[in-house]
Amino acid sequence: MIKGAVLLLISLSASFGARAADDKAEAGKKALEQSCQLCHSLRLIESQRLSAAAWQKEVDKMIGWGTVVQDRQLLLDYLSEHYSNTVPPAAPVMSASSK
Amino acid sequence: MKRVLHSRRAALAAFAASAAAARGFEGSEQIIVPGKRSMIVHNDRPEDLESPVAYLNQWLTPVDCFFVRQHLPRPTVGEAGFELKLTGRVGKELNVTLPQLRQLPQYTVPAVLECTGNGRAFFSPRVPGVQWGRGAMGNAEWTGPRVSDVLKLAGADLNAAYVTANGADNGLAKTPDFIRSLAMKKALDPATLLALKMNGEPLPSLHGFPLRLIVPGWDGTSWVKWVNYLSVDQAPNNGFYMNPGYRFPKHPGPPGAPVNPSDLAVIEDMPVQSFITGHTDGAKVPLGPLTLKGVAWAGESRVAKVDVSTDSGLTWQTAQLTGKDLRFTWRLWALEWRPQQPGYYTVLSRATDIDGKAQPLVPTWNPSGYLFNAVDRIGLSVEARS
Repeated sequence: MIKGAVLLLISLSASFGARAADDKAEAGKKALEQSCQLCHSLRLIESQRLSAAAWQKEVDKMIGWGTVVQDRQLLLDYLSEHYSNTVPPAAPVMSASSK
Repeated sequence: MKRVLHSRRAALAAFAASAAAARGFEGSEQIIVPGKRSMIVHNDRPEDLESPVAYLNQWLTPVDCFFVRQHLPRPTVGEAGFELKLTGRVGKELNVTLPQLRQLPQYTVPAVLECTGNGRAFFSPRVPGVQWGRGAMGNAEWTGPRVSDVLKLAGADLNAAYVTANGADNGLAKTPDFIRSLAMKKALDPATLLALKMNGEPLPSLHGFPLRLIVPGWDGTSWVKWVNYLSVDQAPNNGFYMNPGYRFPKHPGPPGAPVNPSDLAVIEDMPVQSFITGHTDGAKVPLGPLTLKGVAWAGESRVAKVDVSTDSGLTWQTAQLTGKDLRFTWRLWALEWRPQQPGYYTVLSRATDIDGKAQPLVPTWNPSGYLFNAVDRIGLSVEARS
């Protein structure tokens, strides 16, 4: 009985943790969409693989160029996690021929 | 056992669905760029398009598969009402129309246009910017009046140091305008043009309609598109795209280390380089004779030879050069090769220019990933015929 309750607690806290991470990723994705798409599509970002320090430099350059960023840390965390230099490079995206 | 297999299948299907959903976030819609064949899309708005190497195995690169690089949202420029403003150290300020530009003597110059960041994806550690492979380059015939003839219309001071060019494109928010200054000496070179045509066709909007600066031998950044302003000046423009943008370290440092801005110099001509374009990296080929192919060029210099290795650099053979041997253009190279047995082969190409400068074995890392010109390298899997 106690064993069961402990297991339930563990699984509940794990799912809360996973949900918090999902929520953060969702918020980060939204921040990216809101801040970056005025000037260019997100493909330019998707193909980058940079260290956290390099992302910080890029984001600050873009803020200097007028990009509106509500939560700089949230955006940096999202970029550094999803487009990190430790993630394998993205597969090339091909356009369809217009001919 | 069967159940495990099924559940594994179900898990794989669920993973594939979530991966597809993840891709959908960036738009899974098919991209079609009007006027272009299938291209590698680094950015669809504005368009940054790379030519797959298969398109580069011909001396002239067709317009419909020529690479595209844009820094700022693409402007819509109409034929009617277009004027090129000539200002600065000129006898009289002048607005020149397209019919006036067409009345000047027209010259055709074949020249390679290569993005300053071509090959950026090969730098390690990676650097920010469009992750170009080999295909941010092409060779085209550019037609239009000479810059020198256009400057003379306004009685420009040809002893001034620079000509500054601006195009119709503008940055959103506080993004700096794309403005470039060109040394007068290069501006007055008879091959430096204001092109109205590319491979005999009017310039498409993606390539700078109606007017593009052609600066043969120099990096693509110098080739300003949608040009509507030329100013004759004593000092270069000091905007972002001249400083600190598009500069290269005078003394390269350790890969990944920051470079002091005072240690950077403006990039002008392009270094000797070659690319393997007949096969893609990792391609599988059947055992038997085959032709290795590629391109080579050398900025303002000329290609003297291309050496190719099919054994990871242990031995080298000189490739045959074809295509017109003209300054500012590329040569096509080819080498017949008959691998003796199946296996994985590392193929390398190395060009040397007429001044004896050869491609380095290792690229010179720099913070923005410019001027990649290391020996090119692909892997080929030669497979036994079944």
